[in-house]
Amino acid sequence: MKKKQFNISNIMQSKITWAVVAELLILLVCFIIRPDFFSIKYQPATGMLYGSLIDILNRSAEITIIAMGMTLVIALAGTDLSVGSLVALSGALALKFLRWDVLIYNTPGDYTVKPFILVILVPLAVCILMGLFNGFMISRIGMQPIIATLILMVCGRGIAQIVTNGKQFTTLYSPFRVIGQGSLFFLPMPIIITIVVVAAVSLFVRKTAFGTMVESVGINPSASRLSGIDSRKIIMIVFALTAFLSGIAGLITASRVMSNDSNNFGINFEMDAILAVVIGGTNMAGGKFSLAGTVVGSIIIRTIITFVYYFGIVSEATMAFKALIIIVVIVLQSEPVRARMAKMGKKKVKGGVQHA
Amino acid sequence: MPDQNLLEMKGIEIQFPGVKALDKVDFSMKKGEIHALLGENGAGKSTLIKCLTGVHHMDAGTILFDGKEIHPTSPQDAFSMGISTVYQEINLCPNLTVAENIFVGRQPMRRGVINWKEINRRAQELMARFHMDIDVTRPLNNYSTAIQQMVSIARAVDIDAKILILDEPTSSLDDNEVKLLFDVMNELKAEGMGIIFITHFLDQVFAVSDRLTILRNGTLVGTFDIHDITKLKLVTWMIGKDMDVIFNLKRATVDADAPEMLKTENLGAPGQIQNVNLSVKKGELVGFAGLLGSGRTETAELIFGAVPATEGTEVINGKQVSIKKPLDAIGAKLAFCPEDRKRDGIIGDLSIRENIALALQAKRGFMHPISLQEQNEMAEKYIKMLSIATPDAEKKIGELSGGNQQKVILARWMATQPDLLILDEPTRGIDVGAKAEIQRLMLEMCNDGVSVIFISSELDEIIRCSNRIIVMRDGKKVGEVNGEDCTQQTILSIIAEGTQEGASA
Repeated sequence: MKKKQFNISNIMQSKITWAVVAELLILLVCFIIRPDFFSIKYQPATGMLYGSLIDILNRSAEITIIAMGMTLVIALAGTDLSVGSLVALSGALALKFLRWDVLIYNTPGDYTVKPFILVILVPLAVCILMGLFNGFMISRIGMQPIIATLILMVCGRGIAQIVTNGKQFTTLYSPFRVIGQGSLFFLPMPIIITIVVVAAVSLFVRKTAFGTMVESVGINPSASRLSGIDSRKIIMIVFALTAFLSGIAGLITASRVMSNDSNNFGINFEMDAILAVVIGGTNMAGGKFSLAGTVVGSIIIRTIITFVYYFGIVSEATMAFKALIIIVVIVLQSEPVRARMAKMGKKKVKGGVQHA
Repeated sequence: MPDQNLLEMKGIEIQFPGVKALDKVDFSMKKGEIHALLGENGAGKSTLIKCLTGVHHMDAGTILFDGKEIHPTSPQDAFSMGISTVYQEINLCPNLTVAENIFVGRQPMRRGVINWKEINRRAQELMARFHMDIDVTRPLNNYSTAIQQMVSIARAVDIDAKILILDEPTSSLDDNEVKLLFDVMNELKAEGMGIIFITHFLDQVFAVSDRLTILRNGTLVGTFDIHDITKLKLVTWMIGKDMDVIFNLKRATVDADAPEMLKTENLGAPGQIQNVNLSVKKGELVGFAGLLGSGRTETAELIFGAVPATEGTEVINGKQVSIKKPLDAIGAKLAFCPEDRKRDGIIGDLSIRENIALALQAKRGFMHPISLQEQNEMAEKYIKMLSIATPDAEKKIGELSGGNQQKVILARWMATQPDLLILDEPTRGIDVGAKAEIQRLMLEMCNDGVSVIFISSELDEIIRCSNRIIVMRDGKKVGEVNGEDCTQQTILSIIAEGTQEGASA
């Protein structure tokens, strides 16, 4: 087999290159203003590493995890708006099972009422069911993804409220705390979970033929069907997977604050996840996707937010600042700009050959 | 100055990654001339046109238009200079009205608002000029493909164009519509317009054009006056080989006692097509003849489960099967190359390798992936076997020419090792050389024991290849003739009469 040729023009044209460049530029600005931005310290008390970089990775966990599924959804030329609500629902279910006794005992403690395994599995299972519902509405009923998932986006938080009777529960159960606040190999647990999820999803889509089939259905559904691809099954799996990943993100979010909050958990997560996918270079029109790009996209979003907090920019300006940087990244990735960059790269290569 | 060239392209060179698409090509056209541009797929016809319309950037060469040098940078740019193009695929908005489609982007305004009366009046006039009396205020998709094609030509000529480029305008038209188009072309020619006409139908070239230019592999073969060249010469020059070698195709031989591969009884889907009774023997090539819309495609879709059958039975290899979706059919060793390659065949953004592996992969299920090495071997094998013109297997299928795309789709199905292959118009819109190659492949597969159902609008290729020909009309089988002793006349009269008895009487 021939090896792919190393080609500056290709690299200059690849979208992920520009996402990485953007991330490095933001970090560079951080470094120039505050050289200690990059410092990472070990804190023996918690057994964890601390620092802005660790914090960025830690705080981007939920979006990265959800965006893995969102990448596949967008590759199918769809969108999933329900992920934020599912985060809230997952958190509510977990706390409900931890504090089944809340109507009798009001003080939280280091205990769980229902078995811990249910605290984890029930929210995830419910999320998968919700995802299958999304997939069913889209693949069988023929609804547009944005409409079908809007249903759960709107009523998911309502279901979460019903689960907890509209109340906010708190818990001190230490095994549950491990999910969002624990550590492994000196790293915060959310980072470890993210690494596992990213690896598992990447292996699943690229080591099986699932990824190619998703792209195929996203590019040309009719031709895919005639080639024997069961697009309904693919859609069901992708939406169920995305909902499952939202469930995991919900558990992390709930564990970080050891509480549930159906009104505020996962707010705007759907937008951030879509944004991460787009910054990562996957086209909203469907087709070819890049999971690695999405990871970078998610990290960029978090870096911007951290940057804003770190430098004490008024929090009201966060959104505007975020928008500004995202515009720059998207413009850098746009077709005309990349084509121009590729041309410049080509010229340089030609020159190099002549000199050699 | 009648002899002055309206357009002169000199020494055009274009370099694509890995291939020289055009190498020192000259092309010239006079005022009031219909100039045919001929060549196999990938010969560089479209590249030359795209160079003229500013889609591709030339690496060398000059374009003189009306004596002045021009450098079109985009289709809009070329358009504003007076170079209009009508593409094979209709680039109109089907949900807008005919009039809106003609004037979109340059609506006549009156006091700052669009003057609808004026638009509709002018559109009606324009269509009348094309001898078309249609209601221009109705949405475009109410009309047939032929009329839509006429509308796109009308749109192109209404702007004061000096050059009109027609890229395969006739591939979706029937004989009468083609004649109508030729009348219009001759009228425009009389008005002094230069028309570049690209087509695969050689008869049409001789019917309408004044001169022709032949390209082969990105180089110029020559420009000829239409009276100085014969059809046979033309084809030989286009493909660079002798016709006889290619056209020496032998019909497959089928033993009288060959087992039955496919048998359907009263197969049907109400509202689509009903009562399909068909039997195909192992290694037999059955041709489906009939006009567009006679039910040929619908029959194929029914057999393959693209439209699930709700009544009747389907027996494959002696076993009754229930085919509810294409995947079931693939499992029963059927394969289907659909008619509309772009819409139902290719996955444009995926590579040749991925496109070839797709159906086999779907058959195996995504949890049993075909390893990259196997995929590469498969791709290499079929690229060689079907002589697919590409630098490597990683090229996107969407970037190939039509004939090569068709070969990749064929490879996709050959890779599943089918027992019965259904080909719906596999040779439409591809050139003589690729056409002959696909016919040869079909016949080779028959000799290897694969049964083939071959649907085509071109009677001569059906007659040349088929063992048996089924003639369809209005969704029904109206006749069945033996391929050996059959002429176009027999088939045409069956289609006309509607029954075989009527034809022989």
